[in-house]
Amino acid sequence: MKSSLRLSDLTRCFQGVAPSLIATADGRGVPNVTYVSQVYYVDDEHVALSCQFFNKTRRNLDENPRACVEMFDPLTMQAYRLRLKFIRSEKQGPLFDTMSARIEAIASATGMKGIFRLIAADVFDVLSLEKVDGFLVEDRPAVEAEAPSLEGRRSEVRGLQWVSERINRAADLESLLDAALQALDEYFQFAHTSVHLYDEASGRLTTLASRGYGDRGIGAEVPLGQGLIGTAARDRQVLRFSMLDSDLSYGRAIRREASGDRVCEDIPLPGLPDAQSVLVIPLTVGHRLVGVLSAESRDPMRFGEWHEAYLQIIGNQIALGIDRIIERSSAEAEAEAMPAARPAAPSRAKARKRRTLTYYRKDEAIFVDGEYLIRNIPARILWKLLDESQRTGRTEFTNREVRLDESLGLPAVKDNFESRLILLRHRLKEKCPDVQIVSTGRGRFALQTDAAIEMIER
Amino acid sequence: MDNRLRKGLEPGVSVIVGSVDAVGNPACCRAVALKSDDDLATVTVFVPTATGQETIANVAATRRLAIVTTHPISHCATQLKGIVQTTRLAREDEHAFVTEHFDSFGGVLNVVGYPPRLTRSVVRWPAYALEMRVEEIYEQSPGPKAGTRLR
Repeated sequence: MKSSLRLSDLTRCFQGVAPSLIATADGRGVPNVTYVSQVYYVDDEHVALSCQFFNKTRRNLDENPRACVEMFDPLTMQAYRLRLKFIRSEKQGPLFDTMSARIEAIASATGMKGIFRLIAADVFDVLSLEKVDGFLVEDRPAVEAEAPSLEGRRSEVRGLQWVSERINRAADLESLLDAALQALDEYFQFAHTSVHLYDEASGRLTTLASRGYGDRGIGAEVPLGQGLIGTAARDRQVLRFSMLDSDLSYGRAIRREASGDRVCEDIPLPGLPDAQSVLVIPLTVGHRLVGVLSAESRDPMRFGEWHEAYLQIIGNQIALGIDRIIERSSAEAEAEAMPAARPAAPSRAKARKRRTLTYYRKDEAIFVDGEYLIRNIPARILWKLLDESQRTGRTEFTNREVRLDESLGLPAVKDNFESRLILLRHRLKEKCPDVQIVSTGRGRFALQTDAAIEMIER
Repeated sequence: MDNRLRKGLEPGVSVIVGSVDAVGNPACCRAVALKSDDDLATVTVFVPTATGQETIANVAATRRLAIVTTHPISHCATQLKGIVQTTRLAREDEHAFVTEHFDSFGGVLNVVGYPPRLTRSVVRWPAYALEMRVEEIYEQSPGPKAGTRLR
């Protein structure tokens, strides 16, 4: 490719914000022109296009491998023309996986799973690249450059340093996640973020921390492979969407509408209804999935390659931090020799009002005064604590004794006990503040109630 | 002309053209307007002179042209293929039509998030007018019918 312009100079064109044009011709010399939603950057000599259907463009390429693509910079509308030669179709490998994860995420979010899928990543040699001179009028207003300022970079490096320190010092999972999301907001202006922890036993991700959504969303669950978060987790692939296309927005709207009447429905995921760009990063240690970090913005061009790379570094730090705390917590539970807490004084205050908690055994869900509170293992934990407290008057417990209770069904290894307790604490704070779970020291906590609790089991 | 085909000429559609040179090298170009006065038996597509040089050269060599019109919101798309009979500079009395057509397109783009300053910055005039005899029309909207011949 002979040009002073390089493909890597055109990162904005590769974000899939503005559709590109592609012209091909068949063996008889009949031209065909169409849109492609995204051209994928492979390296400075190659690009790739997704092959989802064996359409006319694809058939033409088998007869005549030459193609012409016109891409647009979504900020300036400047057009760039690429002369291409089709060289191969990849049906596996890193390029295929990256492109496939993106398409499957959209398919999953729009109810098109299994129908809307990548057949192959079609790879092209880039024979030439040129700016289309004369495409824009000459007296157009200037557009700010994309590259972050040096000051911005310094701030981001300071942010990274700050996150590292906080993660390193975090005594528990809650402070680690809060610190990480706070840093993303303050140093990188990522105002809408969430962390979802993976539970291997259930194959689901649970929202454990969020910022920019109020108290909403803590405890929301996503099965592996569902939606953007579930797909990023299943495929261990970063997903970055700029200007979420109308299909995805439409699919989200349908899902929102459809979920309105489900009685024991999960808590809705924290999310901006009008998000235009999304960055979803799997948190892994080696190949093991720990969770997912998600960021959203109303700005369609909010997340560039730089942010993706940067957030991956922070994601790695968070993943290692989470893993360290979970490992330590498990080890402490194993080593803990202290006996279970003795029956203690009754609740710290006289009951002032009444709360009715109903446990639906079939759904494994607890409702408080008719409103959904929590389900699954955290629900079982809460029910055990309340039951024990009502029967014996005990209010203090150790992590270890709860962990060892086989009736709760905690996994033998990596039980994520701490994350379940955080989730329970958040949900109680939001939906039933008269019942609190308060840490009373390493490996110990107390159940505090400020209301008369009526327990009903169905 | 039935309603389906009429959609390809509605205000607000995006128009692009594809051409090919004598040795099979394809080229694409954004057009700024499209019209038909005879139920799509022939169409006139307008391509800016600033960016349409290659299209004109290819058409001079092969006379073949492909035109796609797409509505940016509904994604309803139609591909017209045919033989270019006349290539000329667009006349002054066509200026208003071209401007109106492209402004409508800019209006639709504004709805889907592209500010008017962007579409206003795209060159539209002067333009070449390519008059094409339509030989084939294809459905190009995404979905199971994509590629179906409509005429």
